[in-house]
This record gives sequence, C-alpha cells and structure tokens, in this order.
Amino acid sequence: MLTFIIRRLLIVIPMLLVISFLVYLGLELTPGDAVSHMIDPEAASQMSPAQFEALREALGLNKSFLERYATWVYNMLHGDFGRSLSGGVPISEIFLDRLPATLELSFLALLFSTVIGCSLGTISALKRGTATDSSLTVIGMLGVSIPEFFFGLVSILIFALHLRWLPVGGRLMPGYETFLDRAPHIILPALVLSLMMTAGVMRYSRAAMLDSLSREFIRTARSKGLPEWRINFVHGFRVALTPVVVLIGFRLPTLIGGSVIIEEVFQWPGIGSEFIGAVRGADYPLVMMIALFSVFAVLMASLIVDVLTAIIDPRVRLS
Amino acid sequence: MANSALNRKFDRIRALEEAGELKPLTGSRALRKMMNNRLAMVGVVIFLIILLSAIFAPLLTAHSPTKIDLRSMLQSPSGEHWFGTDKTGRDVFARVLYGGRVSILVGLGSALLAALIGVGVGCYTGYKGGILDVIALRVSEIFMSFPQIILVLLLVSIAGQSLANLIVIFVLTGWGGMYRLARARMLSLREEEYVQALRSFGISTPMICYKHILPNALGPIMVNITLTTAMFILAEAGLSFLGLGVPLNIPTWGNILNVAKDLRVLQNNWWMWLPVGMVISLFVLSVNFIGDGLRDSTDPSQQG
Amino acid sequence: MTGEVALSVKNLKTFFYTNNRCNKAVNGVSFDIKKGRTLCVVGESGCGKSVTASTIMQLLPSLSRIEEGSITYHAEAGDIRIDQLDRDGKEMRRIRGSEIAMIFQDPMTALNPVYTIGFQIGESLKYHTDLSAKARHAKVVDLLANMGIPEPERRAKEYPHKYSGGMRQRALIAMAMSCNPKILIADEPTTALDVTIQAQIFRLMDELKEQHGTAIMLITHDMGVVAELADEVIVMYMGNIVEAGTVDDILRRPKHPYTRALLDSIPVLGRGRNQDIKSIRGATPDPYQRPKGCQFSPRCDFATETCSAMPDEEYITETHRVSCHHYKDISQHD
Repeated sequence: MLTFIIRRLLIVIPMLLVISFLVYLGLELTPGDAVSHMIDPEAASQMSPAQFEALREALGLNKSFLERYATWVYNMLHGDFGRSLSGGVPISEIFLDRLPATLELSFLALLFSTVIGCSLGTISALKRGTATDSSLTVIGMLGVSIPEFFFGLVSILIFALHLRWLPVGGRLMPGYETFLDRAPHIILPALVLSLMMTAGVMRYSRAAMLDSLSREFIRTARSKGLPEWRINFVHGFRVALTPVVVLIGFRLPTLIGGSVIIEEVFQWPGIGSEFIGAVRGADYPLVMMIALFSVFAVLMASLIVDVLTAIIDPRVRLS
Repeated sequence: MANSALNRKFDRIRALEEAGELKPLTGSRALRKMMNNRLAMVGVVIFLIILLSAIFAPLLTAHSPTKIDLRSMLQSPSGEHWFGTDKTGRDVFARVLYGGRVSILVGLGSALLAALIGVGVGCYTGYKGGILDVIALRVSEIFMSFPQIILVLLLVSIAGQSLANLIVIFVLTGWGGMYRLARARMLSLREEEYVQALRSFGISTPMICYKHILPNALGPIMVNITLTTAMFILAEAGLSFLGLGVPLNIPTWGNILNVAKDLRVLQNNWWMWLPVGMVISLFVLSVNFIGDGLRDSTDPSQQG
Repeated sequence: MTGEVALSVKNLKTFFYTNNRCNKAVNGVSFDIKKGRTLCVVGESGCGKSVTASTIMQLLPSLSRIEEGSITYHAEAGDIRIDQLDRDGKEMRRIRGSEIAMIFQDPMTALNPVYTIGFQIGESLKYHTDLSAKARHAKVVDLLANMGIPEPERRAKEYPHKYSGGMRQRALIAMAMSCNPKILIADEPTTALDVTIQAQIFRLMDELKEQHGTAIMLITHDMGVVAELADEVIVMYMGNIVEAGTVDDILRRPKHPYTRALLDSIPVLGRGRNQDIKSIRGATPDPYQRPKGCQFSPRCDFATETCSAMPDEEYITETHRVSCHHYKDISQHD
C-alpha cells in the first residue's frame, strides 16, 4: 500500500511543479511590480528609488527567471505565499482567515449529497422502470439543469425574504459566539450546494448500480439461493461502490466551482467569494494563489480517491 | 398478483406475434429508440421552441432589447410588456429572446468548437500514439486539474471580458474532456480487426482515423457535446450573473439575471429575474433530456 | 437409486418479451434428469438450451415468463412444482444452491471480484446449513481441496483475480457442490477454458456423479464432450427437442436430419486430412420469422411439403425419440 501511495505521489508532484511554473509565468507576465507582491506597501511608499533598487537586489528580483521561480517555490513551501495587491495583506493570512468557512460549507455539502445521492440512486436502480424510478430521474435532471445561483436566489426569496425563517446570508455577525448563533446561516447555502450535487451523485450511482446488477456474478449469487437484499447490497452495491467513490472524488472540482458562486450568492466569507473579489479587482497574486491552491486540492483529492479505491477494490491494489 | 400488468402486456404481445402482426423492425435502431423515448422527445420540442424563438426574436416582439425607455421603468408584466420592464425601462421579454441568441451561441458554439478540437486531436494522437500523444495527454491533464470555473475566472482576469474571449476560454477549458473521450475510444477501436485490415490495404492514417474509426465513436461524442453545451450555458449564466462573463451591455441570459443580486429587486421585481431563470433551466433541461436519450439510444447494451 | 428421475420437465414453453416482440425461445420441451446420470443438451447457440437451464433454476430475466408446461422436482419430501413457485420466493431460494445448483459458462465474470473465494463459497453454506462460521471455513477449505486446488487454506483467502480460469471454474464447482445438491446444471462450463483444463473439469464432474449420485445436466455444443461424458442426450433446434435418446442412440443411430448433419460436421481424429466434413447449409433462422412446421425444414435435404406441419414426437425405442416426418425414409439410405 505504501509503495502504491508513493507511486501516485510521483505522478502528482511533477504535475504540481508544472502548474506552479505556469502560474508563476502568469504572475510575471501580468501587470504590477513584483516588489509590491512581496513587501508591506506602507514601507514601500517611504522608500527612495535607490532603496527600492537595493531592495530588488536583496529580494533577488534581478536574478534569472528560473532562480526567482525556485525562490518562489521555496518560500511557498515555508508558508510565504506573497502578498495581495489590495492592502498588501499576506496571502497566507487570507487563507487562514477564509478557509474554515469554505471547508465548513463544502464538507457539509459533500456529506449531504453523498448520503442522499447514493441512497436515492440505489433505490432508483432497484426499482428500475417504475414510477419511483422515473420521477427520481426527472428530479435528478432538474437538479443538474437549474443554475445553482438561480436556485439559491429562489431559496433566499422564499425562506429568507418571505418566510423569514433563515438569514439572507453572511456567516459571522458581531456578537455571535456559540455554534447555534452561526448555524442558521449555513443551512441555506449548504442545502442549496448539496442539493445541486445530490442530483449528479444520484444519477451516477443509479448507473453504477444498474451496471453492477447486470453482471454475471449477480446471477451466480442468485443461483446460490441468496435472499434478494443480500444479492442487491452485499454483491450489487458493494461493486457499484468503486465508481461512486471515484465520482465523489472527481466531484471535488465541481464542489469548489459550485461553492465559488454559492458563496457569492449568500455572501459567505470563504475562499470562493475572496476569489471573485480578487478577479474583479485584478488582484493577480491572489487570483493565481487561489487557483494554484485549488489545483493542489484537486490533485490531493484524486490521490485520496486512488487510495480509497485501492482499499475498496482488491483488483486495483495489484496493477 | 403484482405482475398482472406485466402479464397482460405479455399476453398482448404474444397475441400480436401469433397473428403475425409484428413486423421485423427496420430503419436505424438508434433513431427508433430516440423517437420512443418520451423525455428525449419533450427535450427536442422544448429545445426547438426556445432556439427558434431566439432566432426569430424580431418576429415575436416589437421591442428592442437594448432601448432605454425612462417613461416605463420597472413595470410589472402587461399585454405590452409580457415579462415587464427593468430599471431602465427595457422590455424583459425582448431581452430574454435576444439574450437567448448570445447565450445559445456561446453554449452551443463553444461546445462544438471544443468538440472539433478535442476530437480532432484525440482521434489522431490516440490512433498514432507516440510522443504527440504523450504531449497532448499531459497538456489536457494540466487543463483538467483546475476546477472548471476557477480556470475560467483565472483566464477572464488575464484576458479581460468580451464575448470572443469568453468563447475562447470556454473552448480552452472544455476541449480536454472531449479529447480524453475520443482518445479512449480510439485506443480500443484501433485494435479492431477491421482497422488492421485497412492498414494492410495501405490506407492513409488520417483516412483511417477520421473516416473509418471516428464514426464508430460518434455516439458517446454526441452525448458529450450535449452535456458540454448544457455546462457552458450554465457557466455563462453563472459568470454573467457575477458580472464577469459577457460585458453587461450585451443582453445574455446571465446578464439579465445579474440584477437579482440586489435584494430589493429579488423581493419586489420578480419578473426581472424569475422568467429568465426558468428559461435557462428549461433550456438546459431540454438539452440534458436530449443527451440522456442519445445515450440510451446509442448504447447497445440497453434494450427494452 | 441411480437412474431414478430427479427432475422432470413436461411440455415446457418459455417466451421472451424484449423489444416488444415475443420470442418463443423454448417451445414445448420434455425430458427427465436422472440421478447419477449425465444428460447432455446439445445444439447451436440460440437453440434454447441455456434458456431451458435458466428456466429450471427460475433465473430468467424479468421480461420473460414460463407460458406452459411443468417442471417437477422430485424431492425426498415429495414433488415440488418449480414452475409454480414464486421466482424469488423462500421456497425457490431454498432449492437454488442446496437442491439444484448451477455453474456458468464464463468463470472469469461469474465470481464477484471484490470478495474472497472463501467468502463466496461460504455464503452458500451460510444460507443452506446451520454450520458455525468456523465449521463453514473448514468445509470451504475441504471443498477446495477436493476440487484439487493446492494450498486450499491460503487460496480460500484470495480474491478471484489471483485465480486462473481453470481454478475459478473449480472454485465455482466447489461453490455449486457445497451443499450436496441433487442436481447440477452446467451451462457450457468449459467454453472459456483451455482444452487441457477442459478435460480436468469434466473428470471432476464425472467423479462427483459417481461419488454423490448427483444428476448432471450438461449444456454443450461440443459433440466430443457428449461422446465422453453423456449417458443421455437431447438435441435441440430452435426451441424444440428434435431428437433424444441414450448416448448410443444419438451417436450411433441418429435419425433426425439435424442430428446427422451435426455429427457429419465434426472432423474425426485419425481419418486424415481428406475426410469429408459437411457444414449445414443455410443459417439459423431469425427467431421472429420462424419457418412453419418443422423448424429445420428450410435447411433440410429431405424436406417435403409435409414438413410445413409440425411433426409429432415418435418413440423409435423406449429411450429414443425423434420428431421428423421422414426419419424412416432417411434411415433407409444407410
């Protein structure tokens, strides 16, 4: 298992290096002086051109491109991601500040959508061809067809503006101390985000389950005289699980993408709304860093999925 | 008995069969299955209605989508303005129709272009293999390790906002999926006997891959084109809603929805955003129905 | 007790209803499966031999049903009409695996890839016996050892992908034999295997028959296998039995033109390369556009106008029956 993980890492690391190189290239090519990414803007405004030049030298900005890239990577590995253009805040601080909100939202959505999506998809497959199956199929279709922000807007209109059951948006208001204070704020965005994802998981797990149920070993299991539930769940569902786990891993990019817009709709102070702010304000260092971070998250997720599938499916472990 | 309905159906088929009334099925099996798929047909009808009313917008409305009319601001729907008017008095119905032109163009156009590039590259390199294949695969991997919307926003922030830029960016972010699909099909099809035979006849490589192999991979590719179209239409709407897609002066479905970011509009002027949101949903739904129908009809492992 | 009827099938009809058509896959077949004997069912693909087997096990797909006829299992406690049981009811499940067991054509796909062989064999025992988990494991190891699998203790803990094709088929036979079934149905069990492995699997089945008195129904299209293993043979064509009898009846005194054609199409070892191998002319008809009357008539050299009516089954001897209008004339040619 360890060699398996190491082998996968050997694929992921070069990939990250290439992408970080491209991102760095992008950073160099976009407008804005590199010095301003690196030092406190207030200090910069008090410097004379000579001091500025000395600083450039000291910061290694006059070195060759590759050397600068190496320093940049080195700094990143030590937690220094540079500074945002607006206000000169270190990007690492922004991450620390915004990440918990995004993780909170994504984790809840992932949990909800997996549990609900898998169960509904399995039910749909087992009741194939019945009214239950077709209505679930149509609902699933609706789920992947309605723009998530539109769905979010409608839910704000109904639950926040008309019924006034839940707040319109935001996360931490002044005076909020306990989890209970915060809980109402996460309900709407988490529900909207997970309902949109549920549809996809449901459709996929239905297909995986149908595929698994059509295999020969199901007939073998039936010929052994096993009860129907055991054939469906112990044999059918267990085999369908592998592609579903893979899907959930691959949904992570979708989740990140979805949360960008949902965070904006619900004014959720996470990485996503920060990213949109950065794109609007042409804050390139921040845009690039968040993009790079999302790639890192995606690659890590696919690594975890690989390991998980290896645990679930004995065939993968060997190949 | 629970199965009595099924039993009755069986009896009916048997009676017809014995009367010799069931004729062998002729024509394209895929087409027949598509026609029998009720949801897919509903999809085709909705798709055509929305597409045609966008194309023939001038015949359906006398209003201009961009003309500001300060005397009729924020009117609710009426016989004159079917979907009401917005803050600057523009007719929302006209905006939805004309906006559909741009949105569908962006969605369908980008999907087709992405398919052209992805399939073109995927077929050739998948068939030939070698260094070209490795390079194309790595490049697509790099593109695909970004979450789609992040990559789109990143490129928007670098390239700036314009209609053409948006299409180029969509194509850039969308070709990878098509490429992988085409390549995977190619890898399995190139081992088929008939391909070996063609090769032994000395037929040229492009001829083999585009004329003889590609048609066999067309089913999944068409399904993917529909799904990508749906995805791009949703992406355009999302981006424009954020104000980062097509420039605001061009009406698109996303740009019309942009106003709903204002909570007062959201609460008081439903006609400005609800109808267009429903049109987007319906259109994407119809495309997804068509895609699903195509998938079922081109998949030989399913019968019914 | 050898020779006693274990299961009898009378005028069985199974029709398929896919694609809104009705395919009369099995159209009135009757035969007996006897204890300690091997019944071979031969015929080309699509003749209904596998459907017959699935019907006995009630393993048919949902768009199909038994139209007519009976399947009677002669259990120790009395006769059971299998055709009247609920497909997935308790009684049918009890019979499956413990009384009648089945092995399938392709051992590569018939085993669940995510469970160990031991688990999959043990599952049968779990549902049909009262053995404890420990006793089940011991029994599994025992079964594998009996099937000639080396190091059964270790092998039981392995997943199917570590087994070769022949070993998987042995594991499947072990699974089928785990509860000492009275009847074993084998649906082309060696088609996917090497010839040398084939012989081993058949020897194994023969031993089981001798030792346990199991009744075996073996579906095959290989006449060599028939000569080797069969006690009785039925020949099927387009959903009907065209000829049935003991192995001597069929191989030495074939009456039906189809059986004769089938035998003529096999090369015989030792006759050299110039032997006359005849293929059967024409192709199997479309099941939706069946010929009238005798299904073989369009391909038959002896067909006349009488053949447009379905021939009745005639008993030539007590064991040998054939359904052909002209079998008497044909045998005079010999």
